[in-house]
Amino acid sequence: MHHISKRASALTASAAALALILSGCSAGGSGGGQQASANKTLVVDNTFDLKTSDPARAFELTGSIVDKALYETALTFEGSDVTKPVPQLTTYSMSDDDKTITLTLDGKHVFSSGNPVTIDDIVWSYKRVQGIAGNPSFLLSNLSTGKPFTIEKTSDTTMTISDTVANPALPYILPNPSLGVLDSKTLEENGGTTDKDDKAESYLNGKSAGSGPYQLSSYNATSKVVFVKNPEYTGTAPKYGRVVLQNVTGPSQKTDVQGGQAQLALNLNSQQVNGLESGSIKVAKTTSANVGYLWLNQNEQVSGGVTNDPDFVKAVRHAIDYEALRTVAGSGSTQPGGIVPSQFLGALESDENNTTDAAAAKSDLASSGYAEQTVTLSYPTDATLDGVSFADMAQSVQSNLQDAGITVKLNGLPIATLLDSFRAGKLQAGLMYWGPDFPDPSDYLTFSPGEGLGLRAGWTESMSPEVTKAKEAAIAAEGDARAAAYQAWQKASNADGAFVPLVQAARYAVTNGVTGVTPNAIWTVDLASIE
Amino acid sequence: MRYLAIRLGLSAVLLVGVTIITFVLTNLVPGDPITAALGERAAGDPKIVAAYREAQGLDKPPVVQYFVYLGNLLHGDLGTSIGTRNPVVQDLAYAFPATAELAVFAILVAVVIGLTLALVAALRRNRLSDQLIRAVSVVGISVPTFWLAVAAYFLFFFVLHWTPGSGRLSAFYDAPPRVTGLFTVDALLAGQPDVAGDALAHLVLPGMVLAVYTLGLLVRFARSSILDVLNQDYVRAARAKGLPGRRVITAYLLRGALLPILTIVGLAFGSLLSGAVLTEQVFAWGGIGQYAYRASTALDLPSIMGVGLIVGAVYITVNFVIDVVYGFVDPRVRVG
Repeated sequence: MHHISKRASALTASAAALALILSGCSAGGSGGGQQASANKTLVVDNTFDLKTSDPARAFELTGSIVDKALYETALTFEGSDVTKPVPQLTTYSMSDDDKTITLTLDGKHVFSSGNPVTIDDIVWSYKRVQGIAGNPSFLLSNLSTGKPFTIEKTSDTTMTISDTVANPALPYILPNPSLGVLDSKTLEENGGTTDKDDKAESYLNGKSAGSGPYQLSSYNATSKVVFVKNPEYTGTAPKYGRVVLQNVTGPSQKTDVQGGQAQLALNLNSQQVNGLESGSIKVAKTTSANVGYLWLNQNEQVSGGVTNDPDFVKAVRHAIDYEALRTVAGSGSTQPGGIVPSQFLGALESDENNTTDAAAAKSDLASSGYAEQTVTLSYPTDATLDGVSFADMAQSVQSNLQDAGITVKLNGLPIATLLDSFRAGKLQAGLMYWGPDFPDPSDYLTFSPGEGLGLRAGWTESMSPEVTKAKEAAIAAEGDARAAAYQAWQKASNADGAFVPLVQAARYAVTNGVTGVTPNAIWTVDLASIE
Repeated sequence: MRYLAIRLGLSAVLLVGVTIITFVLTNLVPGDPITAALGERAAGDPKIVAAYREAQGLDKPPVVQYFVYLGNLLHGDLGTSIGTRNPVVQDLAYAFPATAELAVFAILVAVVIGLTLALVAALRRNRLSDQLIRAVSVVGISVPTFWLAVAAYFLFFFVLHWTPGSGRLSAFYDAPPRVTGLFTVDALLAGQPDVAGDALAHLVLPGMVLAVYTLGLLVRFARSSILDVLNQDYVRAARAKGLPGRRVITAYLLRGALLPILTIVGLAFGSLLSGAVLTEQVFAWGGIGQYAYRASTALDLPSIMGVGLIVGAVYITVNFVIDVVYGFVDPRVRVG
């Protein structure tokens, strides 16, 4: 039987050789990024949180990248600068009382269908955002009262958006890709309406209907979105005729960009980019606008009589080693002085209440009624702060607090479970983050007593009248006075509040052979600017 | 026929069992899928939350939800995914062929290489080649699929440049016109041999990674099964009367060892589907595995139910087919 086993061995060897030859030939043939570049195909790796490409329904990070490429907005931001809205489809002017913004169409833009962009399209698109009541509909409502803005066409080239109270944030809201302007004629032919009966989502997930630099070629929310150039685009034509945005995990993103499979990787953390820069591989580093924070529940029934003690809160603020948290968050991270991110109007550079001071922590703890109770610190196990593990941050905080004499029990939860309990105000303490809805400090007033986030931490208006007063002053402030007013509100919150701003992590964009990658706090990256 | 009818009936009962278990398990998960699906602001708006609950049918008691689900299921409706906002049937129709293509490739690799190695090991019992093959088999069973996928991707794509990168096709190719959803087949049907070659090349590494566990398992059991048959009188008789070696192997050895091998292939198919969850994540494959991962981390209950159902159905179908094949291979089974 010896000859039989020889034959079997040969078969095995042949099978293995065939597989390797086959894959080897193809790998050589594809040539990774080189051939992609020759065919003007740009490959971008991203860890998807995509749900839809319909701008009126999308409010996820990946959705913003997609919609920024497909749709233009009335106003936009230039590059990374989110402090100054600039015209895109329209110019704008604010009324003296800051209640109304008037948009004036420039009349130069055309949808991929060939239809011109009209003021009716903008009004229709905004009313659709409001009418659908989807994730981003709050953008066109007053955040405190929930009352929708009034949207009116005032002429063939002008329209107004009005709030019932002064709202200087209006121009900062409009560049959001969720407010991308749709071709209303095309959409109405495909089930689009401005109310809950709208049926155009499936159409938009197959074909786009915008005037942006790209149009949709293929779309799969789980794996891949392919864009091709919009021939009707009136702006500077993008350098790449085709873009593939694909869903790839962090470790594979690193291998992809190193191997030339992708030209841009968007979700690598500080450990993964360490030592990566060499040759054509560049690492662009910016500070993320996502703020990681700690909350201490002020509701006596949830706090166990511990986390609602003002001296205990002070002790926690001084016990935390913010420098250690920055180390955990990686090079390029920063400690915000308040809850408003460091790059936004009204950001606080630092605050003495949130500084590491072991002696002050022990003294404050001694003044409090803390009697060695165990504090439960919850954190999400399946979400990160721009790639930084909340578990690592929680362990760092636990260690700091234990050094100060506070016993902490860690409670890692899936984010869906944590959010459920947090939103119900049932968690004693924990770590979470807030990403900006729009780059204006008014977005952060939810961290006030009696407001949405405040109530999750059991923080009612009557508990901190000084903070409420500072919040009202910030809302009333106009023009240049706004920055100082928001800083005063954050100082008041730090002195007597339920939230401790901890860290803004670094965000990395790793490129291989491309330039023009400009990180942006609202849409992460503009695919059309990549060269 | 009676044997077939009994097996078919049992399969249907199992399928209903799968729907019940999947439904109960998904509803036991702590956390509200709707608040998980909505953004921070939207989740704070009771009107939006109520609209979502109504649209997803989550405003009804769980028992009612289950019977509504079952009723819709009979009409081929698996609900709408909270995550992708598509009908789950549509998502699965897109994702399933991707995984099927990968799984079939993996099972072919595992069966061809595994049976060959098992044969070599059995025929060269206790020699060096047998020891080596057994060691490889143990490694194949022991190595975690996720780790193997990452390591293999790094080695064969990045270091050696032997295999293409992640995904089902190179970035500069568009997917071929959809007929079966299997890129290799669809590309050939569309007369695009270069695309078919590229799709096949992309199959190699994830397919091999996925095959490793099954291969290890198969070598172990097939070797043992072949050794059992090798000592049977009828095999000795065949060899004694001077039949050619190839005929002894195919007509006597392999046929005699087939039943336990079929069992392992059936069981292995289940592990292939579960292994695909991790492998597809690493290779950005876009199949059922990647869909299941996304659905489970986003508490997308309709999608989780859909995946559970399709995986259960495939598993039951494969085992049904194997049961039937058993009956043909060994008539004693039918009688029993």
